[in-house]
Amino acid sequence: MQAITEIAKFTFSDAIRNKIFYGVFAFLILLFITAAALASVTMGRTELMISDLGLGSISILGNLMTIVIAIQALQQERESRTLYVLVTRLEQRWKYIAGKFIGLAAVLALQIILMCALLSLCITIFGNIFWQSYFQACLTTVLEIWLVLAVALLFAQSSSLFLAMLLTLAVDIAGRFTFTIRQLGEQSDNPVLQALTQAMYYVLPNLEAVNLRNQAGYITQYNWSQLVQILGYSISEIALLLCICSLIFQRKNLS
Amino acid sequence: MNPLIDVQHINLSIPTGHVLQKRKTILHDISFQVEQGTSTAYLGTNGAGKTSTFRILCGLMKPDSGKLIFDGKTMPHGLPPKRFGFMPEQPYFYKNLTPQELLTGLGRLSGMDNNHIEKGVQYWAEKLHFSKVLKQRLSTCSKGQVQRVGLAQALIHQPDFILLDEPLSGLDPIGRACVRDVIHDEIKRGATLLFSSHILDDAEAICDQVIILKAGQTVFSGDIQSLLSSDDKWIIKASWDKQPSDIHQHGEVKQFIDGNYHIRGSSMHARNAIIQSILNTTGATLISVEAEKKTLEHAFVDLLQRDKGEETYASHH
Repeated sequence: MQAITEIAKFTFSDAIRNKIFYGVFAFLILLFITAAALASVTMGRTELMISDLGLGSISILGNLMTIVIAIQALQQERESRTLYVLVTRLEQRWKYIAGKFIGLAAVLALQIILMCALLSLCITIFGNIFWQSYFQACLTTVLEIWLVLAVALLFAQSSSLFLAMLLTLAVDIAGRFTFTIRQLGEQSDNPVLQALTQAMYYVLPNLEAVNLRNQAGYITQYNWSQLVQILGYSISEIALLLCICSLIFQRKNLS
Repeated sequence: MNPLIDVQHINLSIPTGHVLQKRKTILHDISFQVEQGTSTAYLGTNGAGKTSTFRILCGLMKPDSGKLIFDGKTMPHGLPPKRFGFMPEQPYFYKNLTPQELLTGLGRLSGMDNNHIEKGVQYWAEKLHFSKVLKQRLSTCSKGQVQRVGLAQALIHQPDFILLDEPLSGLDPIGRACVRDVIHDEIKRGATLLFSSHILDDAEAICDQVIILKAGQTVFSGDIQSLLSSDDKWIIKASWDKQPSDIHQHGEVKQFIDGNYHIRGSSMHARNAIIQSILNTTGATLISVEAEKKTLEHAFVDLLQRDKGEETYASHH
């Protein structure tokens, strides 16, 4: 556990000082300008528009930042040879993957929480906020980001910087349409296409299933059963992805 | 006595290309031993396979075949992490962390307690002259300072075996002297050292054993003195008004700034003939006769060229 904690601490400390939060401040400024503009042109329920727009933006920005930060962090660690210094001190290599995930997950969660806090401030300026559904939306956005992080780590272990970014982005986008992909397959008469879309449905992480952003601003209570389901699904999917990632890393020649 | 490290018949090849995978041989049947308490230089030209060997020892790469034995035990996944320290070639670490944070974290990863880490960080920062930058981000440190932090992280947990890949590259003469002193102290402490270097003067000053690689194969492994001992080459110093007529037939003549001549004879017979020639010439004075002392650089170049010559001869026949 000590090894995982130390690697997580290294990762967190390095990433948190990496000008990462400039992105958050840029987002904040953009958000206030948009909110002010919207308030002047909409008739009523301005806060709902700000909430939808803000949470959507946080998700997109968070996903993109996750892909860039996670893959770049791993590549830089390899290029700077820090990876060698860390791995040669470990009895098992999976601890490196676990530590890396925890460190990056903490940085990204902190970033999302900060952005959501700023957005809630912005919403309350223009109207009421339904805290329960807003909290659900923020929590599931963090889970979604962690899922994308696990995918990014998996690809970063097995391909080059550019290819890893491209593949993670592709999975990220496809992961939002898994239901649609399966439905398309079911409508087709081609058994190969049906099998392929079915396989994609089960293999790709279902990012739409962990999205409760649409409920923010409309529902006034916690949807506990849905939250537990999402939490269970996210944790098992992340664990599966990290296991595959560790297996690849364990067998990999670090040249 | 059992060697601390026994590398037996290691072969390594790596895939080249992306779609049609061919394999390139990096190491071919490498075998060597490192005795406890010795300092061994691992030398070779660029691409000879030095770094790959180090990565196999560390468990970063797996060989295609061969065996690594450490302290009498077979190690299929590299050396035991807590018993060795490794410094990779030109590391630059996390640029946003300070040397103190880096060394503290790596000390903990090596299983040290906080009290020992604190003392260790201070000790190595003073000894390797980076105390002033201990609390500055690594991105603001010079290349030499980062190199010394790299050495400190390899030594902080006082390992039995130290593996250094080009520890002296990128250092100024003062930094090199400092690192050389530290390495000497570690050997005195009883640690065993294996290091690679392109600066052969420093390697000669630090090591007592040498392993020389060429294109993935070991061409020499043994005591440095046996490599540096003259293979019957002599330097005869003399002065004369008129050069002895037959001296060119027996050796190469060079005049030095003090007006004396140095004649290099390549065998005992040539040495005797040169001396005879000087003594028989009127006005010629024999000053001294010395066995030629090779430097590691000469020995290294001679060995690789001799090997090249043998290869050329073999390819023609």
